[in-house]
Amino acid sequence: MASVHESLYFNPMMTNGVVHANVFGIKDWVTPYKISVLSLLYEMTTSKIALQEKRRLNKLILPLQQGPDLQLGQFLKTVEDCCPQTAFAVKIRLNEMADGELKDMEFFFTTLPNPTFDSEAYKTSVVGLFIRHMLLAYNKLSFSQVYKLYKSLQHYYHMGVPTFVADDSDMDLTSTEVTIGDKMERELDSPLTFCVRNEDPVSRGPLSQKQAEYFLAKQAYLLKNDDNKALRPAKLQEELNNMLKFNPDFAEAHYLNYLNSMRVQDIYISTHSLLHYFDRLILSGSEGKSNGDEGYGRSLRYAALNLASLHCRFGHYQLADLALQEAIRIAQESNDHVCLQHCLSWLYTLEQMKGSDSSVLTEDSVKMAAHFCLPYLASLGIQSLVQQGAVQGKSAHELMDALKDTDILHWKHSLSELIEISLAQTISIWRMYGKSTMAQQQAQLLLNMSSLEPVNFGVTQNNTEAFAVALCHLAELHAEQGLYGGTTEIFKHLKEQFPPHTQHAKLWMLCDLKIQFEKHMNDGKYHLAQPLVPAIRAQNKTEGLYRKAQVLKSLSRTTEAYRILQKLQVHCEKTRCTETIIRVLLSTAELHWESSDFSTGLPLLLQALTLSRKHHLQALASRTLLHLAFTQLMLGVPEQALSVLHEALEPILAHGGIMDKGRALMLAARCQMALVATRPNGREQAAVAIHTLDEAASYFSTLNCKERLRDVRYLQARLHSSLGQTAQRNRCAMLFHLLDRELQTPRAPTDMRL
Amino acid sequence: MFYSSFIITVKPLENRVKPIRDLVQIKKQLISVISLCKERGLVHSVKWASELAFALDPLPKDELPPSHLVSEEDVQDLDAFALAKSYFDLKEYDRAAYFLRGCHSKKAYFLYMYSRYLSGEKKKDDETVDSLGPLEKGQVRNEALRELRVELSKKHRAGELDGFTLYLYGVVLRKLDLLKEAVEVFVEATHTLPLHWGSWLELCNLVTNIEMLKSLSLPSCWIKDFFMAHIYTELQMIPGALQKYQSLIEAGFSKSTYIISQIAVAYHNIRDIDQALALFNELREQDPYRIENMDTFSNLLYVKSMKPELSYLAHNLVEIDKYRVETCCVIGNYYSLRSQHEKAALYFQRALKLNPRCLGAWTLMGHEYMEMKNTSAAIQAYRHAIEVNKRDYRAWYGLGQTYEILKMPFYCLYYYRKAHQLRPNDSRMLVALGECYEKLSQQVEAKKCYWRAFSVGDVEKMALLKLAKLQEQLTETDEAAQSYIIYIQEIFSCGEQLEHVEVSTALRYLGQYYFKNKLYDEASLCAQRCCDYNDAREEGKALLRQISQVRDQTETPSGELFVSLSDNNTPIKRVSPLNLSSFTP
Repeated sequence: MASVHESLYFNPMMTNGVVHANVFGIKDWVTPYKISVLSLLYEMTTSKIALQEKRRLNKLILPLQQGPDLQLGQFLKTVEDCCPQTAFAVKIRLNEMADGELKDMEFFFTTLPNPTFDSEAYKTSVVGLFIRHMLLAYNKLSFSQVYKLYKSLQHYYHMGVPTFVADDSDMDLTSTEVTIGDKMERELDSPLTFCVRNEDPVSRGPLSQKQAEYFLAKQAYLLKNDDNKALRPAKLQEELNNMLKFNPDFAEAHYLNYLNSMRVQDIYISTHSLLHYFDRLILSGSEGKSNGDEGYGRSLRYAALNLASLHCRFGHYQLADLALQEAIRIAQESNDHVCLQHCLSWLYTLEQMKGSDSSVLTEDSVKMAAHFCLPYLASLGIQSLVQQGAVQGKSAHELMDALKDTDILHWKHSLSELIEISLAQTISIWRMYGKSTMAQQQAQLLLNMSSLEPVNFGVTQNNTEAFAVALCHLAELHAEQGLYGGTTEIFKHLKEQFPPHTQHAKLWMLCDLKIQFEKHMNDGKYHLAQPLVPAIRAQNKTEGLYRKAQVLKSLSRTTEAYRILQKLQVHCEKTRCTETIIRVLLSTAELHWESSDFSTGLPLLLQALTLSRKHHLQALASRTLLHLAFTQLMLGVPEQALSVLHEALEPILAHGGIMDKGRALMLAARCQMALVATRPNGREQAAVAIHTLDEAASYFSTLNCKERLRDVRYLQARLHSSLGQTAQRNRCAMLFHLLDRELQTPRAPTDMRL
Repeated sequence: MFYSSFIITVKPLENRVKPIRDLVQIKKQLISVISLCKERGLVHSVKWASELAFALDPLPKDELPPSHLVSEEDVQDLDAFALAKSYFDLKEYDRAAYFLRGCHSKKAYFLYMYSRYLSGEKKKDDETVDSLGPLEKGQVRNEALRELRVELSKKHRAGELDGFTLYLYGVVLRKLDLLKEAVEVFVEATHTLPLHWGSWLELCNLVTNIEMLKSLSLPSCWIKDFFMAHIYTELQMIPGALQKYQSLIEAGFSKSTYIISQIAVAYHNIRDIDQALALFNELREQDPYRIENMDTFSNLLYVKSMKPELSYLAHNLVEIDKYRVETCCVIGNYYSLRSQHEKAALYFQRALKLNPRCLGAWTLMGHEYMEMKNTSAAIQAYRHAIEVNKRDYRAWYGLGQTYEILKMPFYCLYYYRKAHQLRPNDSRMLVALGECYEKLSQQVEAKKCYWRAFSVGDVEKMALLKLAKLQEQLTETDEAAQSYIIYIQEIFSCGEQLEHVEVSTALRYLGQYYFKNKLYDEASLCAQRCCDYNDAREEGKALLRQISQVRDQTETPSGELFVSLSDNNTPIKRVSPLNLSSFTP
C-alpha cells in the first residue's frame, strides 16, 4: 500500500520516458539577480554617467553577467564601488518594483531598451544578446510563473537591503580602482564566496545551471592542481549531495564526487559514483547523436577504462587488468584507435606497477601514439621509457636527448603538466647519476616556473606529484650539504602543500624519515635511529630492510645484519634495483671489515664498482672507490690506495655530500700518514696530511659529527707529535679530550672504519 | 474528551494474553475507529478498518457500540465543523481551515491542521508543474510544514496532542526529513491511539531494519500483529510474515481480503508462484473490482506466460478504471507478453506519469527497453528505479544485464554484486555472477558462485549444469561427474519436467566417464538412459556397443548390484561409487 500522503504529481520534464533537464532549450532563466543586472544596464543606457565611471562600469558588466548569482547586498556594493550614483538609481528602481505591485515589474520589462542597430546595446553584442535572452525567457513565463518571479524578487530585495549600508562618506575616488580589482578577484576567484554564501541557512538554495557548472569546473580544477585550496572533502561531499538532491540528472556532479572520494581513498563511494556518472553520460551521449553509436559506445569504452584506472589507483592490479582487457576488447571491436592508445598506455603502466618489464609495450605505444597524432600519450610513453632506461642503465645522453625531444613537443602543445613531469624526471636522473649541482639547478627551474594554465583560480604553485618530487630532492640535497635549517623549511612547506592525508604525502614522509635517520646515524645516536626503521619500512619495504641492516651493523650485531643484507641482495637482484644492490654490497664489505677480513670484501667492492660504472652512478662509484682505497690501505698498500683515492676525490669534492667529502679527505690524510715513513719527504707529507685533516675537520664540524671529529683530532695530534710540534699537539689532544669526554662512548678503533 | 471512553474500552484488552480471540470486542473497536477516522477525513485508515470489519461477523443490534459521547466543545463547534468538513471533502482545504480557525474542540483542531497540511501539499504539487527553472524543481516544498511543526511541537510539549494530531505531527516531521523525531512521535501516537492504522503504516515506512524494529516499544494491541506481519513483508522476512498472517487467519480474520492480498504478495516475494496465483484468484473472486495489488498479480501471470488470464485481467481492469497506476502496469505486462514492447513501454510511461514514484514501473520499463535493444533508455529507467529505492535489486540486476548485453562482463560485475548483496539468497544473481566470472576466465570464482547458487536453492536448476560444464572444461573429471550426478538427482527429485533441462548432456558425460573408469554397468545404464533422449540417442547406442565389445573381450561381469535397480525410474538410486558428501568445489 502506498503511503497515504503520497503526492501524485505530473512531471512535465518527461517525454518518452526520458527526463529532459531542459525542455525548452533555455539555459537562462529570469532570476531576481538577473533583473538587478538588467536594471543596471537600463540605468547605464538611460542616465548620464561620467566617462571614467562609465568605463569602470563597462568593465564590470561581463563578470556580473556571466558569473554566479550574487546577493543584492554584494551586487550593489560592487556597483557602488564603481559609481555610487548608478548604484543608488538601481536600488531605487528595484525598490519601486519590490515595494510596488506586480505591474511595476511588468512595466520594467516593457520599458527595457530594445536592442537595435543604433542603440548602445547593439543587437549582437554581449549585452544585447543578454537583454534579448532575458526578454525571451520572461515572455515565455506563464502567469503563475511571473507571479512567482515577482514574489522571489520581493524576497531577494528584502533579503539584500538590510545588509546593504549606503556609506557614501567612505568613498575615496582615488583608491576605487584598486579596490574594485581586489574585490572582483576575491569574488570570482576565491572558493570562499561559495562557502560563505551557502553557509547562510536562509539564502542557501539550489544553484542555477551556470553556477553549478562553474562550481564543478572550479572544484575539479583545484582537485587536480591544488587540492588544498578546494573545499574540504566532507564539505564538498555535502555540497554535491545538495546539488544532486535538487538535480539528480547533473552527471558531472557524480564525477566530481568520484574524484572527491578518491581523495579520501574511499573505494566504495568512488566506484559507485564513477559508474553512476557513466550511466548518466551514456544517456546524454545517445541523446546528442542521432545515430547513437558514436557518443554512446565511446563513453562505454571510456567507462571501462576509467574503472581500470580506479582499480589501479587502489592497487587492485588484477581487477584493473580485467577492466582494461574489457576496455581494449570493446575499443577493438569498434575500431577506436584513440581509445586503444589510451588503453595501451594504461597497459604498460599497469605492467610497470606490477613490476614486470614493459619497455616493448611502451615503445609500441609511443610509435602508435605518434602515428595517431596524440602528443600527450606519445610523450607520456617516452617519459616512461626514459624512466625504465635510467633504471636499466641506458647511456645518459640517449635519455637526455629523449627528454629534450619531448620537451620541444610539450612546449609546442603547451602541455604544462608534462613539462613539470619532465623537469622532475630530469632532477631525478641527475640525482641518480650523482650530479647534485645539476639536480639542484633543475629543481630551482621547476619551482620558479610560473603556471602555464590559461585559467587558474589563484593557484600559484600546484601540488602535483612533480612538485612533491622536486621538493623532496631539494630537501635531500640540502641535508647532504648539512644545511638542516633549509631542509626543515622545505619540509614545513611540503607539509602545508601536501597534508598527510593527501595522495603524494607519502613521498615527503619517506624522505623526511630517511633524512632524520641519516642524521642520527651520523651523530652516532643509534638508539634514536632505530625507532625510525619500522616507520621507513611501512613506507618502503626494501629501504626499511636496508636501514635495519645499517642500524644492526652499527650496534655490532653482525650476524643479523649480514643475514638481512644477504636477503636484501637476492630481493634486489630480482627486482633489478641497482642502486640498492650497490649500497648493499658496500655495507656487506663494511661488515667484513669489522672482522678485520679485508680481502673478502674486495670482490664485493669490485662488483659494486662495475655495477655503478655500468649504470653511470657516479656518486656510488666514488663511494665504492673510497671503500676500495680503504681496503687497500688496510691491506698495506697505501700508495695504491692513494692513487685509487685520487680518482674518486675530484667527483666527490665536486658533487658529493659533505659527509663523503669529509670521509674522503680523512682517508687521504691517513694514506699520506701511512706513506710518511716510506717517503723521503716525510715531513712535508705529514704537513700535507695535517692540512687535509683540517679540511676534513671543517666538514665534520658543519655536520656536527663529533665522533669523526674526535678521530680527526687524534690523528692530527699524532702527526703533530711525530713532527715534534708540541704546542699544536697539545691543542689537538685537548680538543680530542674535550670531545671524548662529551661523547662518553669508548672510541672505536679508527683503523676499522672508513 | 469525547473519545476517552474509547480508550478505556481498549485498555482492558491490552492486558489479556490472547486478545485476538475476542472478535466481538475487536469488531466494536473497529466500528468506533471507523467513525472517528471518517469524521477527520482519514480515508485510507477508514478503508483499511472497514475492510477488516467487513471480514468479521456482524454484531447484533444491541451490541453495537453507542454513538460516541459529545462534549461541550464539540457542540459549540458543531456547525463550523460540519461546514468545514464539507469543504474539506471537496478539497477546498484553505476554505475549510479558514472556518475552523476559531474552534476549540480536538476534532476541529485536527481537521484545521490537517486541512492546512493538505493545502500545502496540494500547492506544492501544483507548483512543481510551473517552476521557474529546472533546478528549482527540487526546491519546491510545502511551505506550511514549518509553521505546522512549530505549532504542533508547542502543543506536543504541553502534552495537548491526541492520537490523531500526534499522527499529523509525525507526518509533518517526516516530510521535513526529521526521521528520528518522527519515529518517536509515531510510536507515541500508536500508544495513545493504537487502532489508527495510519500511524502504524507510517512507522512501517520509517523502520529500515530489524534492529530498529526491536528497539521500538510498541503497545501490545491486536493491531500490532498486523503491523508486525506487514513490516516483516517489507523487510523481506517472508517466513515470519506468513506465520503471522496464518495465525491471524486462524484467529478469525479468514475472510479479510487485506490479509489474503498481503499473503499473496509475500508469496510473490519469495517466488512461490503457484501459491500466490491461487491466492490472487481467490482474492478476485471475493473482491472482483479490486485494483490494488493487481500489478503484482499480472507479474505472476506474466512469469507463468498465462496469456488468456492476463488478457482477461487487463480488460477487466480497464473497464473498472483505466487511469490507475496498477491498470497501466497490467496493460504494460500484457503487451510485453505479446512482444509488443513499444506499447508496453508506453503504458509503463503512463503509469509513471500517474505516479513518478512508482518503483515497479521504472524497472519494468527498463525491461521493455532492453527487449527493444534500447540499452541507453533501459539504463536510464533502471537508474531512476534505483533513485526511487536504492534497495531495488531488480533494477541493479537489470543494469547488470544491460551491460552484459553490451559485452562488458567486468563492468556488470559491480551491478550483479549489488543485486546479490540485496538478495544474498537469490540464485539468479549468483548464476549471473558466475557467468560473468566465467567470461572473464576467473574459473575459481565462477565455480564458487555456481556452487553457492546451488546451495541457496537454485530455481532454474542451471547452476549445477554450468558448474559441471566448467569443471569438464577444466578437466576436473571426477568433480564434473559429481556435479552431473547431483544435477540429475535434482532434476528428477523435483518431479516436474522443466523445459530446458539437459539431462541428456549429463547422462552422456556420465556414460563416458564410467566407461573410462571401467565401471561398465553404470556406463551401460547411463547409455541406456541416453537412448530416451533424441539428441543423445546415437551416442548412447554407440556407447552401448563399445561396452558390449569391451565386455566380450574381458568376460568379467560384475553388475549384480545394479540389475535389481535398473528398472527403478530414478537414477538417484543407481549412483554412485563416489562419496557425495565429500564434494566441495
